[in-house]
Amino acid sequence: MRRAVVVLVGLGLLATATALGLAGAAATPSRGNDDAGVQQGRELFVTGCAQCHGADGGGTDQGPSLVGVGAASADFQLTTGRMPDTDPDRQPVSKPPAYEPDEIDALVAYVASLGDGPPIPDVDDPPGRLTEGGELYLLNCAACHSAAGNGGALSSGRTAPDLHGATRVQTAEAIRTGPGPMPIFGPDTLSDRQVNSIVEYVRYLDDPEDPGGLSLGRVGPITEGLVALLGLVALAFACRWIEPKEHAE
Amino acid sequence: MIIQRVARWIDNRLGASRAARTTLNKVFPDHWSFMLGEVALYCFVILVLTGVYLTFFFTPGTKEVVYHGSYAPLDGVKMSQAYESVLRISFDVRAGLVMRQIHHWAALMFVAAVIAHLMRIFFTGAFRRPREINWMIGVTLLILAIANGFTGYSLPDDQLSGTGLRIAYSVVLSVPVAGVWTAFLIFGGEFPGNEVLTRFFVIHILIIPVAIAVLLGAHLAILVRQKHTQFPGRGRANTNVVGARLWPTFMAKTLGLFFLTFAVLAALGGLAQINPVWIWGPFEPAAVSAGSQPDWYVGWLEGSLRLFPAWETRLFGFEIPNPFYSGVVIPGITFMLLYAWAFLEARVTKDYEEHHLLDRPRDRPVRTSIGVAALTFYVILFAAGGNDVLAARFDISVNLITWVFRIFLLVLPPLTALLTYRLCRELQARDHEKPRPTAVLERTQSGGYVEVEEPAGAPRA
Amino acid sequence: MSAPDRERRAVNQVAVAFGVSALASLGLAAVYWQGGQNQVEGVLLAIALGGLGYGFVVVARRLLPQGPYTEERDVLPSSEGQVAAFETDLERGEGWLARRGFLLKMLGVAAGALGVAALFPLRSLGPNPGNSLRRTKWRRGSLVVDEQGEPVRVRTLEVGGVLTVFPEGHLEREDSQTLLIRISDENVVTRKGREDWAPEGYVAYSKVCTHAGCPVGLYQQDVKRLLCPCHQSSFDAVEGARPMFGPATRSLPQLPLMVDDNGLLRAQDDYDEPIGPGFWDRGR
Repeated sequence: MRRAVVVLVGLGLLATATALGLAGAAATPSRGNDDAGVQQGRELFVTGCAQCHGADGGGTDQGPSLVGVGAASADFQLTTGRMPDTDPDRQPVSKPPAYEPDEIDALVAYVASLGDGPPIPDVDDPPGRLTEGGELYLLNCAACHSAAGNGGALSSGRTAPDLHGATRVQTAEAIRTGPGPMPIFGPDTLSDRQVNSIVEYVRYLDDPEDPGGLSLGRVGPITEGLVALLGLVALAFACRWIEPKEHAE
Repeated sequence: MIIQRVARWIDNRLGASRAARTTLNKVFPDHWSFMLGEVALYCFVILVLTGVYLTFFFTPGTKEVVYHGSYAPLDGVKMSQAYESVLRISFDVRAGLVMRQIHHWAALMFVAAVIAHLMRIFFTGAFRRPREINWMIGVTLLILAIANGFTGYSLPDDQLSGTGLRIAYSVVLSVPVAGVWTAFLIFGGEFPGNEVLTRFFVIHILIIPVAIAVLLGAHLAILVRQKHTQFPGRGRANTNVVGARLWPTFMAKTLGLFFLTFAVLAALGGLAQINPVWIWGPFEPAAVSAGSQPDWYVGWLEGSLRLFPAWETRLFGFEIPNPFYSGVVIPGITFMLLYAWAFLEARVTKDYEEHHLLDRPRDRPVRTSIGVAALTFYVILFAAGGNDVLAARFDISVNLITWVFRIFLLVLPPLTALLTYRLCRELQARDHEKPRPTAVLERTQSGGYVEVEEPAGAPRA
Repeated sequence: MSAPDRERRAVNQVAVAFGVSALASLGLAAVYWQGGQNQVEGVLLAIALGGLGYGFVVVARRLLPQGPYTEERDVLPSSEGQVAAFETDLERGEGWLARRGFLLKMLGVAAGALGVAALFPLRSLGPNPGNSLRRTKWRRGSLVVDEQGEPVRVRTLEVGGVLTVFPEGHLEREDSQTLLIRISDENVVTRKGREDWAPEGYVAYSKVCTHAGCPVGLYQQDVKRLLCPCHQSSFDAVEGARPMFGPATRSLPQLPLMVDDNGLLRAQDDYDEPIGPGFWDRGR
């Protein structure tokens, strides 16, 4: 029974992975540094981004310079909808992307053309290992994003976001580029394989095995405590049912 | 009948018939809130039953092993024997996970039921003479329940339990003069130490459960000797107990409650996942997870550690570190006040009489307000124990939420006390306007009986 | 409904409840036999126990005598005569004891000595703390290695990067865990007297929180601030991990670093103060 479930989940993961892999492969050529893309990207940039990041991407007091941040950073910020953002004082949060995929590709190509920076990572090669990913995740990532990937609070009103729902590529991009408060894990700190292993584990956390039943959000003792109190309330009602007589006043 | 023959056989040897008959006829008052203590008792029974099963599979060792069980994401990972055996119980021992989950849910429910029972005793004044001894035994049972919960939480050697142990170590370390030696003796050296798991195991499965069982026995024996309290009412006086007899009615009720308690815990154990240690990961000294929390009954201590300002005492090169105040002094005062309450109240009210009739909370507005204020205080501490989770969930700054809780902690208890006091007075006044039954019967002209009602507004005794 | 009808109905209810319970128990056994499944086990067990519970409660409420019964309380305190008699009997031994005060004192001495002697074995529970809270495994020239034991080079971290490191040969030592942060690409001075402690922008702080000992694992690279996830103390990584918020009162100790001729990071020495949470004679 359990084995069947595991096999099914495994097949599902494989299918999704393949689909994503294909999508990634199909998208790659258009993300090249072709001049037409860069040109289209520059136009989009001037209308949508230049106000904060400067006409040539060199940054203003409203937004940082994008010279040398690389394709990975631009792709992460745009596909997670963090950019464009209207309030430079608040931490940008994930929302539906403002641009169509081909527009994002053009913008990414333009930002990548501004200077050398981390490229969009290939999350399938070299393939990650789930177990290694789990160990690295718990040591390097869980302190902010929590063991279950639910995210957590940082100091001064910042938060580490919930990781559920991030794509594999976005996860790898975040590790490599360190968006916002997040530290940067460059290729000399974590190898490509190690990054891909973490990506596998983060993907696993999207829908981990819950052999015990309802996950309760995998938040831990807080939700468990509330559920236990609900259980006690249920038992208090049982007590009232056993002793229905109102005491005489 | 076979039962009668057995009874006769026993009586011939022990002469127990008279005592047994008194027991069978013992009267239990029939108010639902009297069953909260029974829920606690049955949680303990269920903890022992499921706990014994778990001991057959659990290994309390810190020796490093490599996992090769059926949970794939941890395959090949190095971990302690303790953590490995909990994974085995959860994934490979048939019925192991359901037992483990029932055990953990029962632990959460046990402390909750003890506290609910304590609140019932407190707000109705059931701790007054002659029940001060049982009040103190009850407070001791609460402490033991929390202690056993914490030792149990520490055993699986996952990341959460390691984090909890680390904080406990720091709190012990903070005790003036004796802290360092005490911590080294408990942990067998500097944290993490190699001994603490085996020691906590013995404490968790032997020392504290036996202490709880013995004190429970005394708690119940004293209850039988002193008989139950009861709410005032028709036919009820300070000199009697009115209710159902132990045999057979109460026996059926309480057995029913035992099975219902067990059923709720079984349903939780089957349907609601608790403490998924495979997600938290094996304990690594250098790792920690955001949102790490203790089980709920330690949450108020966690909140105290989080809210306490950055103060500590340094004198002549010696220091009393910050966690001593938040982690030792605050719980110390809490339990001292609980122990002393029965005597403190008698002293203040100068009421040293025997009481077997309970107060309605509204009729003791001062006690009720103090109780509500204390409850508010601990609920705020409890909420503060999850300030980071609240901050992340509701997108508020941790710093802000911490300050809000610090202010709440000082402002809200007096406020809720005042409100409660006013509410009690209000309810009393309302009672005043209603005619009240007096338990005096008068014969009507038609030959029936009708109860005389005290006119509204009459002064209350 | 008449009384006998009500009773018959209650009997039926109880019978059905016990029957359902029995079926659920059979199901439970069968599920176990078939390999077990947590949710099914929990639900069947709940039904088996709930059926029994429901049955017992209906029996209690509908089929058994309801009372109310009244039981008189006995007077708890014993009568004066009984107390006096007890005191007389107690006197038998007490008087003897009072006359033999010396023996009593000697008994006290013996019992006290035995008690003290019995405390000695507690000493076996743990080692002498000695200096162990004041020293870590970092030494002059210790090679800085990551969790896998790989040495850390100047190029290992990018600016804004962070890594948990240990002294070579002491991987995963609780007291030596150190957070290595690259906050810049040139020498950083976090405090007066620490002019050469952070070469190439590498600062290293003890990862053990000075409040309650949790690993201070959160680094916010945009504001260069550290946060302890247990009790939310935050520390300023630029200014020697000075506490900024929360219950921590002391800075995280900083490890002085140097870069050797091969571009590897090494410790200049051990921490210059005890790491981790406070204790009574920490300052001595």
